[in-house]
Amino acid sequence: MTISAQQETVFSNNQLSVEEIPSLKTLALLPISKKYRALNIFSIGLIALVLISIATVLRFQSFWSLPEGLLQAYPYVVAGIVALGSVWALYHFFADVRIFYAIREQDISKQSGLIFRKLSCQPILRVQHVEVNRGPLDRWAGLASLQVFSAGGEMHTFEIPGLSIERAEQLREFILAHKDIGAR
Amino acid sequence: MIVSETSSNQASEHNQSKVLKPDTVQQSLSSDAFVQETALKVETGDEWQRLSLISILYFTIRNFTTSAQVLIYTIPALAISFNIWDNLLSPEVLIGAGILFLSTSGSGVISFLMYKFRVHNQHVEIHHGVFQRRYTNLPLWRIQNVKIERPFYYRPFGYALVVLDTAGSGKEEAKIVAVPEDYAEALKKQVLYEKAQFDEGALNGLGDEVISDGQSSSFPTQTTRAETIDASHSNEEVLNRRSVKDIIIHGITNNRVWIILGAAAPFYDDVFGVVSEWLADKGLQLNQLVGEQTVAWWQFGLYAFVVLMMLMALVALLSVGGALFTFYGYTLSRSGDRYIRRSGLLNKLEVSMRASRIQMITAKQDWLDKILKRVNLYFEQNSTAGQQMQELMSPNKLIVPSVTENEAFALSQEVMPGCDLRSRNYQTISKRFITFWLLAGWTLPFIVFFAIGAASSHLDIMLGALVVYGAVALLLTLRWWRWGIAYDNKYVYIRRGRVGVDYQCFEPYKAQQVIVKQSVFMKRRKQATIKFVLASGAVTVPFLPEEYVNKLADSVLFEVESTRKSWM
Repeated sequence: MTISAQQETVFSNNQLSVEEIPSLKTLALLPISKKYRALNIFSIGLIALVLISIATVLRFQSFWSLPEGLLQAYPYVVAGIVALGSVWALYHFFADVRIFYAIREQDISKQSGLIFRKLSCQPILRVQHVEVNRGPLDRWAGLASLQVFSAGGEMHTFEIPGLSIERAEQLREFILAHKDIGAR
Repeated sequence: MIVSETSSNQASEHNQSKVLKPDTVQQSLSSDAFVQETALKVETGDEWQRLSLISILYFTIRNFTTSAQVLIYTIPALAISFNIWDNLLSPEVLIGAGILFLSTSGSGVISFLMYKFRVHNQHVEIHHGVFQRRYTNLPLWRIQNVKIERPFYYRPFGYALVVLDTAGSGKEEAKIVAVPEDYAEALKKQVLYEKAQFDEGALNGLGDEVISDGQSSSFPTQTTRAETIDASHSNEEVLNRRSVKDIIIHGITNNRVWIILGAAAPFYDDVFGVVSEWLADKGLQLNQLVGEQTVAWWQFGLYAFVVLMMLMALVALLSVGGALFTFYGYTLSRSGDRYIRRSGLLNKLEVSMRASRIQMITAKQDWLDKILKRVNLYFEQNSTAGQQMQELMSPNKLIVPSVTENEAFALSQEVMPGCDLRSRNYQTISKRFITFWLLAGWTLPFIVFFAIGAASSHLDIMLGALVVYGAVALLLTLRWWRWGIAYDNKYVYIRRGRVGVDYQCFEPYKAQQVIVKQSVFMKRRKQATIKFVLASGAVTVPFLPEEYVNKLADSVLFEVESTRKSWM
């Protein structure tokens, strides 16, 4: 029944010139929430603080005695944690403002990266399912990340982090409401 | 997580298509009496079925091998603590071994008694497991692959093992352990038929949707698919056979040693013991040979060389054995829209794959293959993460071992019409690829080692560093020389390799995701890296001209989004 209906539809296959193919270069890129950077730097600070306090507790507790070498290493351990933490935070300071996303009728794109800039484009036709993820800190900051799964495997999950919760839900709705989503 | 979600997706799709189902089924039943007949045979009704008695043998052997696998690790520990070999015939050991033997052979009977199955209302249901009872319920239309295995001890009695594979996880695999061969074939046909019906239903649903949306998209597969469903069960055409000679060549050119080595693992210690005893018999003692200063260095070198050559020959022989073991009697045939591979010396293995599921063709040619002008051809299906199957048995990759270059060409033409792996004008990558990797990856270790050598005035370290650096540079140059990409509006081709060459070919509309990468330095030189994510894995081509990458990415995305063809 559908085959006969199929034949009745008007077939069109007009020639397209190369200029008419939509180009990724003309994407209107939108920035993610500014809170994302602050949240990342805050959580790095939190992790560093926890690590330093563990080291400090170990250093100054009086339950059991530590070898002399470890006692001497304490300032270096703290300095190391602070140094690594600040490099990490510095990276996020510069990299997080370079995360952009864009939506077109048929696909969703993300650009990210500080030195190696990566632009990934996920056709909505190939989306298997969508998730909006919110960690405890995300919830506290009112942020969410959107994860889009395709058959490309877990390695290639398309993720836009640091979206406002409304925007993430809106994008999810857009993808789910897309007419191609049921088509595999 | 993905797996569960996709399965629920499929379930919902099924609900959609259930509405369509009644009339399609009726249609087919009236038109296709053959299928009706098989349908009657396949359904076992409400009653739970036992397996044939022969399955006790299967269960026993399986339990033996699994317990042997466990024991292999405990035997050394036991042997050391108990000195088992000294009192090998003591009553304790004999009793222990006897209990072990009886319990494993008895467990075969128990496994048999605990196993029951039925095929009912288009579902395969299986109750199995001794301590951990499991209930598997598989709707026929969700089964992706049907494998029919014939262990050698089944063959005289005409029984077969049916392995039913669903999309995604290996855990969801179900085995019907022993059924008559005719029944296995009938079940397989029924499953494939159901699957085709279901897919068509889904496709019809899709077609409706497209029409109601007023989109003027065409489905060229629609009519051809309907035809192939009718034709698919009756005629099967053999596309390729591999002779023993081909398989021997495959064994030599590809290292298939592990097949034998893996099977022989329990006997390693014994073999080494026997060999060293044998050598001692001949008056040859290894430690003597090395220890004594009387042997001139060249003599020792010669010994070493001869031993090495013997080992190489042995490895090659083992590899040929392994290849024969898996590929003996290899046939690749086409039945409707499916490709079926059958091979195996003792255990006949059958893997079938839908043509539309093939994501990519890969033709691999090692240096030895190049000399002998042979190619290993792979048809790659979607690979689910976490499912690590051995390449040869994997249902995700259909291998055609060591075909000639012309056969490879013909077979790739068969699967992807009009695809030309050989003569293409490949867009090669920039030489910056070599300098980038040398500078970014290898210069620092080289300088460090060279400096260490210079500081400690060890000429050998300095020379070694220089040689390694040179070799790396050479390999990178070879890699640069091979790496290229081409697009002819129908297929994307990728050529890569160092000494050998691999060709990959895929249809752009099957891409899942397109990624363009560009570092700050590459941007300055107007270069970029492109990566295509397919369901069978990702392919990357680095250091291409920026303009080319942008154009290719746009065209591939356009292909995906405008044709709206299914990737499965």
